[in-house]
Amino acid sequence: MKKTIQITVNGKSYSRDADTRQVLADFLRDELRLTGTHIGCGTGSCGACTVVLDGRTVKSCCILAADVDGQEITTIEGISTGAQQLHPIQEAFVEFQGLQCGYCTPGMVLSAMQLLKENPNPSEDEIRHGISGNLCRCTGYHFIVKSIQEAAKRLQASK
Amino acid sequence: MISREYEFHAPKTLNEALSLLEKSGGNAKLIAGGMSLVPMMTLGLAHPDAVISLNKVPGLDGVKEDGGVLAIGAMTRHHVLKTNPLIAQHAPLLAEAAKYVGDVQVRHRGTLGGVLVHADPAADYLPVCLALGAQIKLQSAKGVRTVEARDFFKDIMTTSIEDGEILVEVRVPKLPAGSGSSYQRLHRVEGNYAIVNAAAVVEPGKKKGRVALGGVGPTPVMIDVSAHIASGVSDDALRRVSDAAFAAAENAYGDLNGDAKYKQAMARVYAQRVVRAAAAQAQ
Amino acid sequence: MKYIGTGMTSLTNRQLAAGKGTFVADYKPEGMLHMAVLRSPYASARIRSIDTKAAEQMPGVVYVITGQEVAANMNPIFEAYDTAAMGAKGVKWYALVPERVRFVGECVAAVVAEDKWTARAAADAIEVDYEELQPVTDPEKAMEPGAPLVEPEWGDNILVTRDFRSGDPDKAFAEADGTISGVVKQHRYTGAAIEPRAYLANYDPYQDLLTFHASTQNPHPMRVFLAETLGIPETSIRVIQPHVGGGFGLKIPTFQEEPLLAYLARKLQRPIRFVAERTEDLLAGGHAREERLYYEVAYKKDGTVTGLRAKVIADVGAPSALCGWGQSFVTSYCIPTCYKIPNNRVQLFSVVTNKCPWNAYRGYGKEAASFMMDRIMDNVARETGLDRAEVRLRNYIQPHEFPYSQVSGAMLDSGDYPKALRKVLDMIDYENFPAMQAAARKEGRYLGIGIGQELTPEGCSMPRSTLLGGWDGCTVRVNPSGQVTILTGVTSPGSGNETAIAQIVADELGVSIDHIKVIQGDTDTCPYGLGNYSSRSIIMGGSAAKVAANELREKMLKVASKLLEVAPDDVDAEDDKFFLKGAPTRFVTFKEVASTVYRDCHGKAAFDVEPGLEATRYFKHPNVYHQPDTQGRFSSYPSWPNQAVAIIVEVDPETGKFKIVRYCAVHDSGVVINPLLAEANLHGGFVQGIGGAAFEHLVYDESGQLLTTTFMDYTCPTAVDVPSFEVAHQETPSPFTPLGTKGVGESGVTGPLGGLCSAIENALADRNVRLTELPLTPSRVWEAISAAQGGNR
Repeated sequence: MKKTIQITVNGKSYSRDADTRQVLADFLRDELRLTGTHIGCGTGSCGACTVVLDGRTVKSCCILAADVDGQEITTIEGISTGAQQLHPIQEAFVEFQGLQCGYCTPGMVLSAMQLLKENPNPSEDEIRHGISGNLCRCTGYHFIVKSIQEAAKRLQASK
Repeated sequence: MISREYEFHAPKTLNEALSLLEKSGGNAKLIAGGMSLVPMMTLGLAHPDAVISLNKVPGLDGVKEDGGVLAIGAMTRHHVLKTNPLIAQHAPLLAEAAKYVGDVQVRHRGTLGGVLVHADPAADYLPVCLALGAQIKLQSAKGVRTVEARDFFKDIMTTSIEDGEILVEVRVPKLPAGSGSSYQRLHRVEGNYAIVNAAAVVEPGKKKGRVALGGVGPTPVMIDVSAHIASGVSDDALRRVSDAAFAAAENAYGDLNGDAKYKQAMARVYAQRVVRAAAAQAQ
Repeated sequence: MKYIGTGMTSLTNRQLAAGKGTFVADYKPEGMLHMAVLRSPYASARIRSIDTKAAEQMPGVVYVITGQEVAANMNPIFEAYDTAAMGAKGVKWYALVPERVRFVGECVAAVVAEDKWTARAAADAIEVDYEELQPVTDPEKAMEPGAPLVEPEWGDNILVTRDFRSGDPDKAFAEADGTISGVVKQHRYTGAAIEPRAYLANYDPYQDLLTFHASTQNPHPMRVFLAETLGIPETSIRVIQPHVGGGFGLKIPTFQEEPLLAYLARKLQRPIRFVAERTEDLLAGGHAREERLYYEVAYKKDGTVTGLRAKVIADVGAPSALCGWGQSFVTSYCIPTCYKIPNNRVQLFSVVTNKCPWNAYRGYGKEAASFMMDRIMDNVARETGLDRAEVRLRNYIQPHEFPYSQVSGAMLDSGDYPKALRKVLDMIDYENFPAMQAAARKEGRYLGIGIGQELTPEGCSMPRSTLLGGWDGCTVRVNPSGQVTILTGVTSPGSGNETAIAQIVADELGVSIDHIKVIQGDTDTCPYGLGNYSSRSIIMGGSAAKVAANELREKMLKVASKLLEVAPDDVDAEDDKFFLKGAPTRFVTFKEVASTVYRDCHGKAAFDVEPGLEATRYFKHPNVYHQPDTQGRFSSYPSWPNQAVAIIVEVDPETGKFKIVRYCAVHDSGVVINPLLAEANLHGGFVQGIGGAAFEHLVYDESGQLLTTTFMDYTCPTAVDVPSFEVAHQETPSPFTPLGTKGVGESGVTGPLGGLCSAIENALADRNVRLTELPLTPSRVWEAISAAQGGNR
């Protein structure tokens, strides 16, 4: 069954038919071809599908596409403007090896962005809690935490 | 993936939602945050003919004061409960519990009402609602009824909600000034359901108190600990609290987190811990 | 500048951090179909009949296939091991089961449809009439006479055995000051890469070419497996590995879905994609680890261990073509790890059951050997009253004793175990820990310290295996512009070996790394190689790159020397220049030399060199022995990295829950090319080790149903559940590789197993708690506490 939804993704408006069986992650990936949003578990456990919905991170594998009509979404593709113009958090991940295979990374970066928006100067413990909805199997989180610490410093300094 | 076709409705009013629900004839599911329903559909454990979203129904969320009671909309999301000043002042247990629900993303989307109707025996809000003496307000096309939280949970993932009813509000009596309360849980990994959780309220004067436990049976259980602490929250009193918790956890069952014996032993430990912490806070 | 030894970030970071990587599930070619698989709901059953009518009639369904068609048209899946060469039993495993299912999740039928929902719904609509059979799900029950047989024609449930002997264990036990016997149990767990398995097959009949995009670690072996299984030429298949979202061994071929999808794409001549769901990967994506190790040790009062009898019983699940069962062999092969024990008997019983087959998982059986030895050393310390570190120090193989031949025939290359242990004890301030522990106890906190010692052999090379070989290839090409292309036979699942290989080539050629591009994971463009496993990418791939680049270096030095009008021996290369040694201002640029070879090959500087600047070279590790010795033993691991870890935990004795307070490690993988990426790999290993030791568990019930089929039940650690890490490197070079490298990818997963048991026991020393079984969940630790107190809680 199809349902027409109007949504804004990364600043662009779309009016599209969503299949009711489509979760938001499917819709972004298959209909809008924004494949930076990944699917790792389908049960809201791993966070690879994290996107920003109306200003707050959510797990797009557990939201029906039909259920976000009229809402605004930002995906990993929406936070940078080019290969050399990554978001400062992405730059920090690049420079401090906050990733390995890159599969969890888009979700991880968006969670870090949400955290630093609410808490610009988080402690290590607060960072770990801020990304506890995102599983990473490669990095052991160590360099992710360091990347977010560095990003926080830079974002603070640029204010 | 969700492989079965179904109808999706996004009503704009509560009445519209109620009439859709009534028309659906029993195999419709309401969706709030979807944090449990969508995974269940994905795993093929739920296959409704229709899904009715409450996300576009206005007026179902938010925290309001209603005399001595906080009226909390069923669609209030966990992150709001975690940070709302009225909750912090009058029902801090709820904020404490909200901190543990899932993770940041889940707290942004999931709702209080969703957790209560899903009724996982180890969900964070269940013992909290019992300890706070909350009432669950249910609405159907026929009208409104209110159920005490302690009567709401019937079995594992089973509540007293009936076909055609929507959980619209949770009514939480304000804790009197000078009360102490504590919520604590044991879990395996961050964000997972608790193995055992416990919520305690100790009333001003420290003579009366209650503790509710989750994860130690098909439904949360509550113990009035007033008799044990009436003559002071001593080590001996806490031992009696523990014993009472152990007895109350008689229906504990084993699962991947441990056997029934372990759960019962943890009931003992956590009852004592929350009562001690709540008593320390109370004046 | 020199690159080797420099901690550079990975070359792939920018693309992946931008979300612009390409994983298999990101491809969506025009007209693509979707495959869904129907899996066995039973652990053991015979298929009486299959009714596909309902599925076939569903709109959007293109094709339905069952095991009958597969068995009639395809070969059994080609084995990753040559089981006969290993003295093991093999099995005819088809891409779909034609007759008898042997574990829950085994592929029974499949549907191809226009969309994924229809494919799934139609697969679920296939009706299979099963005759349920009695499963066997416990390895020791499976060894008993009369047990149900997983493979009736085998006559028993034993896949392979080994019996390694050295010295005279009976005498050692008779003459010992004391003996200890016990068991350690490691449970079933897995790698759980966040990207599930995914494949895309596309057949072009005009070129007779099947292009197979795969989330795999081994494109070339996969091409061989597909060709052999489908009975078609290798040249009719191209395997492409795009970005891989984590492998950890679990993405080593060949799973049933791989040849199945390839067959269907050729048959239907449409692109078809299969993306596993998490539940499918947990059910059938390869398991590992489940082993019981029974041991007896003989020791002297001074803590030296003089004799060891060990019996390894591994539950490798149902037999398959996958390489997982080899892990059980490797466990027995590694015993007694870092220790010099003169009298040994090590027996292996690799047992099949009606559970998911093992596939490779980071650690590959080595972790269980080290785990057992850690428990043994702690127990000897307890019995002799010696310090746990001291007992290890008294039993280590000493640095001057390498190469050292272990009881299994394993030839340990080099190491300095005492130095690494002393260093990690310094890092964590082992000496002053008792004071810290006592102070904490006064506040009611239970701190404990533990030691974990791991030996992680790498570069696996098994006789006659298509997959596991002690060699690899690399092409280095200098283009006319002076830019360098490296094509490798090894692949990266995100671990960064492309970066380290570029560093090796950059140093060899004296060229900046910015001028290098690395291409991996394409059977049509890359030289034949075995891909990624067993931490082999730098050992084999890095060494191959080094020798290939060296060939070009020699050629370019010759041309440069002519341009500089000096002798080749007087020229060196660095910073994109060839310069006169001692007079670096006399130079020609790298680009000029490249240009000369391509554009002026008949001129005076290049007339006597072969045109072109491209070298493909293979490196074969010299420390592998496949000619069996008099005992029939062979040496399959050439490289022996090791690590000592020290961990401080805080335990809640009322609940059994613990928290890691500090985690220190000293790691020795020989010469480290890129210390940053080596450390990054270790961090990941630590967390998978901690996950395995404490959180992750694939739980089966007695009927063979898997109870942990989602990430809600299979609980991987989050950032909150693990600490930050303190790591130091120690470099004991391998004498066998051109750069002295050893391998780092699997290191780290082992230390937490013994280390956490050791630390928790130490925290609860006054309660005399004994830990023998993983995972260390709160309930298990609580039960151990309870048992130590007589169970009266």
